[in-house]
Order: sequence, then structure tokens, then C-alpha cells
Amino acid sequence: MNSDIPDQIDPRLPGGFQLPPFGIHQFLALIIVCVALWSLGTVWLGLQGAQQWVGSWQESVRLHVYLPIEKSGDLKKLNERLSSLEGVASVKLISREEAAIWMQGWLGDTSLNAAEFSRQLPESLELTLSSMEHEFLFSDIRDEAARFGGTVNEDEVQMAHAHELLQSIQNLAWFATLIIALAMAMIVSNTLRMILLARADEVHLMRLLGAKEWFVRMPFILEGAVLGSGAAILAWILLWPLVFGVSGWTDGIGIDLHPFALLLPLLAGGALVGCLGAVIATARLVSPDSVDA
Amino acid sequence: MLTAALLTVTVFPMSESESLIKMQQLMLRYPTGKVALSGVSLAVNKGSFVYLTGESGAGKSSLLRMFYGGLRPTSGQLSVQQWDMRSVSEGDVRELRQRTGIIFQDHKLLFSRTVFENIALPLRVQGWEKDRLVPRVRKVLEFVGLGDRLWSYPEALSGGEQQRIAIARAMVTNPPIILADEPTGNLDEDTARRVLDLLMSLNNHGTTVIMATHDLHLLTSHPGRLIQLHQGSLVGDSYSGAGG
Repeated sequence: MNSDIPDQIDPRLPGGFQLPPFGIHQFLALIIVCVALWSLGTVWLGLQGAQQWVGSWQESVRLHVYLPIEKSGDLKKLNERLSSLEGVASVKLISREEAAIWMQGWLGDTSLNAAEFSRQLPESLELTLSSMEHEFLFSDIRDEAARFGGTVNEDEVQMAHAHELLQSIQNLAWFATLIIALAMAMIVSNTLRMILLARADEVHLMRLLGAKEWFVRMPFILEGAVLGSGAAILAWILLWPLVFGVSGWTDGIGIDLHPFALLLPLLAGGALVGCLGAVIATARLVSPDSVDA
Repeated sequence: MLTAALLTVTVFPMSESESLIKMQQLMLRYPTGKVALSGVSLAVNKGSFVYLTGESGAGKSSLLRMFYGGLRPTSGQLSVQQWDMRSVSEGDVRELRQRTGIIFQDHKLLFSRTVFENIALPLRVQGWEKDRLVPRVRKVLEFVGLGDRLWSYPEALSGGEQQRIAIARAMVTNPPIILADEPTGNLDEDTARRVLDLLMSLNNHGTTVIMATHDLHLLTSHPGRLIQLHQGSLVGDSYSGAGG
């Protein structure tokens, strides 16, 4: 075919897997969907950083209860009492050797002997929490520790609360994602409806010529998918300036953001939303002389 | 003037096996209650050239639309290319349309696309490979005398040329039947004759042509079977010959 077509001619036959020409409507929809996806990407990137900050990459939340050395005789009883609390999955005694190894690692290449320090440390119990839904969990742990003269690492309690808060924020983020996805689908759908109106004659003609429904609708589905995934790639690229902009601050608090982790979800989500919008737009694609007229 | 133009022969010897379209007591009632066709019985043989005439609203266009599945009969029998149009499936209607060339009074050309793209569309619908499209389209364009307009846009063509493009699109898949709904309606007499020449030429190559028209004066030079409708009923079925 190429030898028969002049250089300046680019035939674009409608229908099937042929992508329609890109116009102003599609460009505007691309920008709007891109902004929406960028907002979502920002939210999830923020959650990624926050989760790193509270250490919730761990599968379970842990906190430590300390008992003075002179009360070591009550360690077993305290262990039993803590283990019986609702919401506590397990209680582990941290041996002095283990504490010394951890401390030596923490001290790094110093000449200090961590074993000496560890002998001064209080007895330490590590609690793994199965759930934080129990309203008085942390109060109960504090009460049990106090009964034997022990204390709870309050910084870890604050972290656990932050973890709980993040869970709520994550749920909200999922909800926002769903709402924005539906809004994006409607935007794509409206854009394609306008294009469908502009191409109503073309659709009508294709049907009069005996085209199958997939042949008629496929360009619009493809257009939706391309629009969604194009907006996703653009949104992902636009996340990088944000990451570089906050890197000075995030590096300072030990957060390492990974926008690469968002590429596939954004791409798949954008394409899916685009297809959904196209399916909605073409759901009632009626022409005169339709087969079922 | 009309009667002078026609040589009336009412007999139609045709065998059932040669009939491309058969209808018996065909009736069409629109959802509004208007009866568009009533008690129409006739058959159209393969290779014939048929004029459908009648006043506006007589049922010509409705009948043509039924021939490609755009409308379904309310009652009676209608068989088109062996398909029973009362019970035909959606898939069969698509197949029927792929085997039918349709020419519209308003051309229904896509003005945002080139002549090539317009004519190649039926081929593309039927899954033709891209490398076969240009030679085929060029061939039919040469047949209608517009071989040099392959990459033009329809808006750059005259009304007569646009109608020839529409004919080229209808014939490009080499269908056994071509339905033409007032293809000369908006054309001057000379251009209309040229369009009719093309349809006659297709008919001479074996294609059945059914053409709804008001231009009865064309029948003097282009003979064919004349089916007359009046208010949805068949009122005449005759043969018009040249030289009358």
C-alpha cells in the first residue's frame, strides 16, 4: 500500500483498531485527568513517606516495657500479666546479650564496650500487638507495668498511635481514589460523548455498511485507554519535581520516596478509568437504522 | 408526459430461484401508528434494474430501508438474499448489509476524510488487508471517472462527483445488489443521466439495482422495471423501455 500513497498523505480509516485523531477535547480531558491522577499520586506518595516515618513497613507494631534491675524477680509475673492482655499477640524477653549486640551495632566503630552498658540497662520485654482496636490497650499495658514498678516506651506508643492514624488516612485515601476515579471516568466519558456526537455520521455509516459493534466501538475504547494512560504517564512525570522539591526535608527525617512504585498503579489505573469512561460513553450508541431499531 | 415515456409491459416472467427479493402481503406500521406500506407483494429478480416511484410518503424509502434491515416488517413476508427479514438475527443483518451497496440522496460521505478513505470504508469493514485497498479503490474510481481524485476531500467535489463517489463506495465490495435512494434527486439532468449511466453499467455487469426516484423522465433513456407505490400500496408494476 505504501508505494501507492503519496508521501504527504496519511490515510486514517475509521473503525477497528485505528486510533482516531487527537483534538482539543481530548487534550483538555488529558490535562484534567492528569491533574486528578497527579493529586492521587501525591496523596499516595505522602502515605508512602508517612509509613516509612512511623516504621509501619513492619508487619506488626511492637513496643517495649522496661523493668528496673532490682525488680527482676517480678519479670516472669509481668510477662504473664502482659501476655494475658487482649490485643497483645506475644511477649518476648530481650536478653542482655541481645541488647548488647544491638547496642554495639548502634555505637558503631567506637572502642566502647556495649556489654558494660547493657549490664546497666533495665530488664526489657518486647510486646507484639495483634490489634490496636481495644480502647484501653495502652492504658492497661501502662497499668500492668506500673504495678511492678516498670515503664512503657512512650515514644513507641506515640508511633503506634501514628500507625493507627495512618491506617485511617489510608482508608480515606482509598475512598478518595475511588471517588476521583469515578470522576475521571465521567470526564473521559463526557469527552468521548462529544466526540461521538461529532462522529455520529461516521458511526451511522459504519453500521449501515454492516460493521460489527466491536469494530464501531473499539476506536473509542482505545481512545479512552490511551487518554487515561497518557494522563497517567504525564502525572507520574510531574511527581518527580515534587519529590526533588521535598527531598531536602525528607532526607533529614530518613524518608526515601520511591515514585517508581507508583508508575504501574497510575498507568493501570489511568487506562482502566479511560476504558471505563469509554464503555460508559458508548453504552447507548444508537444510530438510525441500527440493527435492533 | 410520463405515459409517453414508458413502454408498459406488465408481465414479469421470473422463476422463484432467481428472485433476490420476495415479499408477500408486506406491511409496515411505524410506532406512531402511521402505515407506511400495506399489502405489498412482489419479487425482484437477480440482475434486474428496478425503479421505485411514487409521491413523497408513498413508502419508497421505507421499502428500501427494509431491504437492508433498517426497518423490520410489521406483518407479511419479506425475504432478501435468502434471509427472512422478520426473523433475521443481528449478525445476519450485518452480513446482509455487507452484501448490499447503498446509495443515499444526501450521499452520506464523510467530509473530514479523503475520497480514498470514504470508498475504502466498506472494504475495511469487511476486513480487507491494507495493501489491497488502494488498487481496488483506484479501480472503482476509474470506473466512475474520478481516478484522479483519490486523495481529494469530498467538499472539493461537485454534487455530481460526490454522488459518483457514493456509487463507487456502494460498488467497491462488488455486492450482488445496490439500493439507491433518489441518487439523482439533487442533480441537474445531465449529471443525473451520467449517474444513471453508471448504475446501468453496473446492472449490465450483473448487479441488481433498485432505485427510488422521482425523475421519471430518465426512464426514457434508461429502461427498467417500474414499481409504483401510492400511499403505501403497490399500484403499478410495469416495464419501461427506451425509445417510447
